[in-house]
Amino acid sequence: MSDPKESSLHDKARSETAFNKPDYWVGDADVTSLKRAGADGIQLRLDGVDHTARPTWKLRETIEFYRDILGLPLVHTISARGWGQVNHPDFLHFFFDAGKGALIAFFYYIGTDRPEKYEPEDHWFFNSNHTAWAVDSREELDRWKETLEARGLHVSPHIRHEILESIYFTDPNGYPLEISLRLRDIEPLDGRDAELTLEAAMQLEDELRKNGDRLHDIDTVWRRKGKLVQDLIDGGA
Amino acid sequence: MVVIYVLDVAEFHPVVESARKLPNCTVEKSHGDYFRIESPSEIVLNRREMKLKPAVWYGIFTGGLNGEIAEWGRDEVRVIPTNKPL
Repeated sequence: MSDPKESSLHDKARSETAFNKPDYWVGDADVTSLKRAGADGIQLRLDGVDHTARPTWKLRETIEFYRDILGLPLVHTISARGWGQVNHPDFLHFFFDAGKGALIAFFYYIGTDRPEKYEPEDHWFFNSNHTAWAVDSREELDRWKETLEARGLHVSPHIRHEILESIYFTDPNGYPLEISLRLRDIEPLDGRDAELTLEAAMQLEDELRKNGDRLHDIDTVWRRKGKLVQDLIDGGA
Repeated sequence: MVVIYVLDVAEFHPVVESARKLPNCTVEKSHGDYFRIESPSEIVLNRREMKLKPAVWYGIFTGGLNGEIAEWGRDEVRVIPTNKPL
C-alpha cells in the first residue's frame, strides 16, 4: 500500500472509469437468471486468445525468464499511475508474444508485497490455473524439452493425454506452464461426447444436492453416462 | 451383465481391440459415435496389453459404464455386474 501522501496525490487524479465500477463484477451471478445465447439468435464470435495476465512480485526474474530464457519477444509495456481507482498502486503491465498473436502478460504492482494467498503451492488446485502453449510438431516439442533442460530448467517428462502430448515446467513465480502438441484433430463426435459426460455429471449433482448430498466419485458419472449413451443407441440416434 | 461404452476415437481403440479378444465379450458399433462392449460376467482389461498411457488409462471408462469397478490398479481393472442405479 502506498503512503497517505501518495494516495491523496493519486486521489486528485481519480477518474470514473469502468475500472471504478464494480457493477460488472459478477463472480456470484445467478446463471439461471441469464438469457441463453440461443434465445436472441445472436452468434457471438471470438478469434482466439489475445492475452492472459497474472500478477508478479518478481520483476527482473519474470522479464529475464520469459524474454531471455524462453526467448519470447517483449512486445508491449504499460507503465501507469494506477488506473484511476483509489489506492490503486502504480504498476507495470508487460506483454510477451507466444505466437499467433497470443500474448502472456504480467502486472507488477510497485511497492506492494505478495499476499500470502498468492504464494504458489504444489497442489492441483493451484496448478490447474495454467498456461498451455501449442507447438505444431513432435520435433518442436522435443526441441523445447531438450533446449530448456540445456538452459538449466527442470522440465517434466512427456505426458500423453487423449488429444494432447505435453511437457510441463514452472516460471519464477511458480506459475505452471505447459507446451502441448495436438495429437489429432478434434472431431464433432468429441463435442457430442463432451456434452454427454457433463450432462451426466450435472444431472447427478442436481439430484444429489436435493438430498443435501454431493458427487463422491467419477464411477457414478460413468454409470449415468452409460445410461445416456444406451438411450442414444436405443433411440437409434 | 457389464457394458462398457467406448468413443470411436484413436486413443480408445485399443480398448475395443482388447475386448474383441476376450471370451464372452461382444463388441458392436452400436451407434455412430460409440462401440458397445458387453459381457454377461466380469470384464478385465490390462493397461500394458493395450499400451495405454497412464493419463488415458485413468479415464478409460469416460465413454460410459454399466458395471462396478471391483479392482482398480495402475495396470489392471476388473469390472463386475452391479445393481447400482445408472
